[in-house]
Amino acid sequence: MVFMNILMCVFVFRCPWLAVTICPAVPPCCAVLFLFVLANFTMATFMDAGVLPMASEDEDKDDEFRAPLYKNVNVKGVQVRMKWCASCHFYRPPRCSHCSICDHCVEDFDHHCPWVNNCIGRRNYRYFFLFLLSLTFHMIGVFTFGLIYILHHMDELWKLHCTVTLVVISISGLFLIPVLGLTGFHLYLVSRGRTTNEQVTGKFQGGVNPFTRGCCNNLEHLVCSPISPKYTARPCRKAVIHIQPPFLRPEIDRQMPVKVRGNGIQSLQNKVSVKLSDIKQPKTPPPLPPKPDHGLLKSQVALLKTSDQQGSNKGPDLHSESKGSPVRCSQQASLPVQPSLQTSTVSSSLQLNSLPLNSRSLTLKHTSRSGSKSQLPAMHADNLESSPLPGILSSSSLLANHNTSSSSISYDNLIPADPQVMAQRGAAPVSYPHHFMTLGTDGNLQRSHPRTYSPVFMGISRQSPHLRDLIPPDMTPPLSAAARYDNFSKAIMASIQERRELEERERMLRRPARTQVLFGPDMGIYDIPSRRSLPPDNIRPPGSRGPTPPAYGSREFLMSTGVLGYNIRTSPLSSSSTSSLTHGPKTSSSPLQNSSSSLQSRGRSSSPAYYPPERPAPGFPSSTSTLPRFSSSSTSSAPLYASYANTKRSSLPYSGEGKDSVTLGALK
Amino acid sequence: MATEFHNLQELRHSPSLVTKVFIQRDYSEGTVCRFQTKFPSELDNRIERTLLEETVKTLNSYYAEAEKIGGQSYLEGCLACATAYIIFLCMETRYEKVLRKISGFIQEQNEKIYAPRGLLLTDPIERGMRVLEISVFEDRGSGGSSPSSTMSSGSSAR
Repeated sequence: MVFMNILMCVFVFRCPWLAVTICPAVPPCCAVLFLFVLANFTMATFMDAGVLPMASEDEDKDDEFRAPLYKNVNVKGVQVRMKWCASCHFYRPPRCSHCSICDHCVEDFDHHCPWVNNCIGRRNYRYFFLFLLSLTFHMIGVFTFGLIYILHHMDELWKLHCTVTLVVISISGLFLIPVLGLTGFHLYLVSRGRTTNEQVTGKFQGGVNPFTRGCCNNLEHLVCSPISPKYTARPCRKAVIHIQPPFLRPEIDRQMPVKVRGNGIQSLQNKVSVKLSDIKQPKTPPPLPPKPDHGLLKSQVALLKTSDQQGSNKGPDLHSESKGSPVRCSQQASLPVQPSLQTSTVSSSLQLNSLPLNSRSLTLKHTSRSGSKSQLPAMHADNLESSPLPGILSSSSLLANHNTSSSSISYDNLIPADPQVMAQRGAAPVSYPHHFMTLGTDGNLQRSHPRTYSPVFMGISRQSPHLRDLIPPDMTPPLSAAARYDNFSKAIMASIQERRELEERERMLRRPARTQVLFGPDMGIYDIPSRRSLPPDNIRPPGSRGPTPPAYGSREFLMSTGVLGYNIRTSPLSSSSTSSLTHGPKTSSSPLQNSSSSLQSRGRSSSPAYYPPERPAPGFPSSTSTLPRFSSSSTSSAPLYASYANTKRSSLPYSGEGKDSVTLGALK
Repeated sequence: MATEFHNLQELRHSPSLVTKVFIQRDYSEGTVCRFQTKFPSELDNRIERTLLEETVKTLNSYYAEAEKIGGQSYLEGCLACATAYIIFLCMETRYEKVLRKISGFIQEQNEKIYAPRGLLLTDPIERGMRVLEISVFEDRGSGGSSPSSTMSSGSSAR
């Protein structure tokens, strides 16, 4: 570029002559063109190409060990493969590629240009292209006018001014050729809608390019499309949102039709009313909370009243629709209903936290029209100002907590989200999924539903201990019954997770090598990884990711079951990287210390001494490859692994490349 | 990401992060920014389908508006060229303006809809527009001895 400047400066000296001889417009045009070249060059050099920031730890926890190396996605009918980027920890979006020089993923990656010493990607491809174009014109101009000058001064060819001009035009002519070539190449790429990367790797050579929009549209997009935003180093706006329980839960019973009034307030076409005769319909004026039928939560009522007065300005709309809600106190255990009673009138923060009854218990009672779910909260949202009041409870959600008409209230309400359960709705004492047991012992529950429940023992045992805290010792029996409803919801989550785990286990089962490992002696391990693993919730290694459930089906867990697991595991992974196997260890170029700390932080807190061995050897120098390395090191690392059975590994045997001994020493 | 710690009183009742649900990009239309409207099963009992779908659809429409090629984008391009791109130092691009709108929208959605349900949306721009992250919180009751915290949206970029 400096070169160009020099040439230009020299050329400037010829400008007066050119202005006189050819046209007065020549120098200004040339100047403008030169300025344009400079501007585009600057933008291409200094502009962020569309760097994708690395994924946070909790984003990749699912993908890392159990996910395949490639993920297929359908782009306009064409199957495009998204590769897992081991350095950035996400699946690269289509057209995205990882620049090994800059060590980050770039969106719509074109190439890394050494001339501007920057990646060319989505955001700055336009400037790069315009730079090339303008540079070509500029050089053509310099060459042409220089030639004209020379031709006019043929007789004075050996004088200084001519010689200099000659030099200038020869240099510019020399550089014109590759620049012209490059410009032509990029023109071709733009017309075909490809990036350099795609052209060079021959991605769409034989097939259809789904990213092209046609030659003209491609050009239009190139020049006129809005500039993408920068993803990294964005200005942060701190906006605090308070999240406080109790939380609202959606209704799930879709049996009820919804009638929406003009102002969006749902009228409750509740067919339940027959059953709820024991609960009188409070025709209270909107601001006042309805009198609770059960005296258990008088404190809550008081709380409600005070808070209700505060929130009374928001009350009317909410209350008008909530008039039905307290009615719908089911014949279920009183307690679960109480919160609905109270909260229905509250639009401001309500500290129900003192009781274990939180909104989770609210899940258990719903009539739920599916439509109402959307309407009510939306309406509620409209009514509420965006106040920073924590724990905004919408009465709409509590409207959701109406009981269905039939006596099958309870079960539908209790196990809302479990499709299997829903399917079994009509049955008599049903054998629900194993972790839902009947609560046969609780008289309070019995009175409302025909089915029996037993406490969700299995679910509880698998759940984190804080759940047990939810069963308050000082609560009266109805409360404890409601507390068990909490367990239900936990169990619901647990069941969902378990099903997920089952599915993933099945997925893994299909991988031949895993079968032996999966059916270990202790099947219980694989049940609910999310819950089981967190015995001491508060004991977490520093810098840990937080209470994200460990991936029990993950490779690390498999490895923890023994050396055998490791060996078995490596074999499929040694196969070609194009097969959709688990992508290997995440390689990172971070130093040893960083990776060990990251290992610890990622290491699921409950996983015993086995920390994810896949965290690659930090010795990997800015490596972005995944599987190949792994496969190369797998054989050598297997015996090493055996010796590491009980030590923390920060850098595994995946150091490959002859670094095994180093890491061995480091770890020992 | 910045998290805030509250006093002990609030600690007792502040929720803890259970999991994060990610709504991936929908690439069926190419590389334009769209998110899948498929409802993630993990949120089945946390939020109504229609709510989330509505949010995602609105977000998609915002992004479509931002990436639309039309009069304003032409004007912006021409102006930028004419001023040798110096205009970018002074002016905010159209995309950035729409991003601000989006972040306001997400903030509002969080306050009104998601936070009451123990969920929190994270602006996709913080994740490089690859995913829409939904943090799922669970109430820990009154036993929280672990450092639970409330999440702050729009936290600092990494």
